[in-house]
Amino acid sequence: MITQIINLLFGTDPELRQIIGVTLRMSVLSTLISALIGIPWGVAMGANRFNGKVILSRITNTLMGLPPVVAGLVVFLVLSRSGPLGKLSLLYSVSAMVIAQVVLISPIIAGMTANIVSLRAPSINETCAGVGIYGWKRLWLTIKECRIPFITTILAGFGRSIAEVGAVQMVGGNIQFKTRVMTTAIMMQTNMGRFEFAISLGAVLLLISFVINSLVHRIQEQTQHDRPA
Amino acid sequence: MIVLREVIQQFGGRIVLDIPELCFEPGRRYGLIGENGSGKTTLIRLLAGTLHSSSGKIVGLNEKRIGYLPQSPYAFSFSVLQNVMMAADGHGNARDLAKSALSAVGMESLMNARGDRLSGGEAQRMALARVLVRSYDVLLLDEPTSATDVRSMDLIEQTLQDAIQKTHCTLIFSTHSPAQAKRLADEVLYLEKGRIVEMGNAEELFREPKDDRTRAFLQHWSLKS
Repeated sequence: MITQIINLLFGTDPELRQIIGVTLRMSVLSTLISALIGIPWGVAMGANRFNGKVILSRITNTLMGLPPVVAGLVVFLVLSRSGPLGKLSLLYSVSAMVIAQVVLISPIIAGMTANIVSLRAPSINETCAGVGIYGWKRLWLTIKECRIPFITTILAGFGRSIAEVGAVQMVGGNIQFKTRVMTTAIMMQTNMGRFEFAISLGAVLLLISFVINSLVHRIQEQTQHDRPA
Repeated sequence: MIVLREVIQQFGGRIVLDIPELCFEPGRRYGLIGENGSGKTTLIRLLAGTLHSSSGKIVGLNEKRIGYLPQSPYAFSFSVLQNVMMAADGHGNARDLAKSALSAVGMESLMNARGDRLSGGEAQRMALARVLVRSYDVLLLDEPTSATDVRSMDLIEQTLQDAIQKTHCTLIFSTHSPAQAKRLADEVLYLEKGRIVEMGNAEELFREPKDDRTRAFLQHWSLKS
């Protein structure tokens, strides 16, 4: 089995390598865009008190549990030829898959960020107020103090992105050499009875997940060691 | 003069502080004593402006320079020196001011240590240095020595005495130690269940409390110590 996996990964058939390439491109891009949206969104919710915070938190929490097929359906309708962004012809492209992923992952990053910030913000706010530090300087200090947990959040977003199947299948269409990613390929190969290929893809997916989880664990351990009991 | 009028603070419908009238004279030292939940921290936070009262007025704080040390100050993950310098920015030579404030609280050997790796007592001393790096008209300290050992407490009290003598600021602090209130304060306020039970000259209040509840609290404390 291991020999077959190695052959598929490094052999003459480029398909597996191509699938892995598309998967990583889609996941990295969607995670970066989601972080750019989700982190400021989460910081705003976690660091401040404002009118509408409760309702915004509820909406965020609801979106954190958004079923991927629902996200896929919404993005499909928006990007389809008769939809509001139909003229862009993005449906069944990696861009469409990235958009669907951003819809799914941004609220997750925002919710996790808000939790991280809200744990530290009250103490930082009191301390800063005590020595006359307000506004942007205080916000910058808060963000700086949360930078390591933010990395954990981004890695968790990446893990969610790489493992996603429902939404990317709907808006990407699982087109060979174009929008086929590891999860959609595993589904298809299993249905076709090509288990070696499916298992090879599964093994690579597991390996990537293992590396990400190890990184998250290492960062969390490091953060815990940084703070005295 | 700082004056509180009809100040009420509620949390979830429960009144945690109810002060009909209270005055703090400039340049005087006030010690707040009382059990947990008596309203000491709430009163200090209202004066610091980090909490807004449910009703009532606090006058005399506008345009005053207020320094405030919260009960759980945050120790930032950068160096101890930078933790203190952040409060001195724009107030002369920040580095020299911070070094001097850290020396005053016996922290000169830990200047390059990370703030978030200090022990509870060290972090409290660093936080006090951060507040004392500048001059204020009003200094509010919420249990400034709650995590320190006896030696550090003496050092902090001495540092505070020196700082107050130099700046002639009004000091309002809370403490669980009536002995500390006796040592540092001109006036002592005994709070119970969000109300001021008794307020008076420190010497007199400890020698001859007028209210039975104050007497019971002080008796309990003297039996324990």
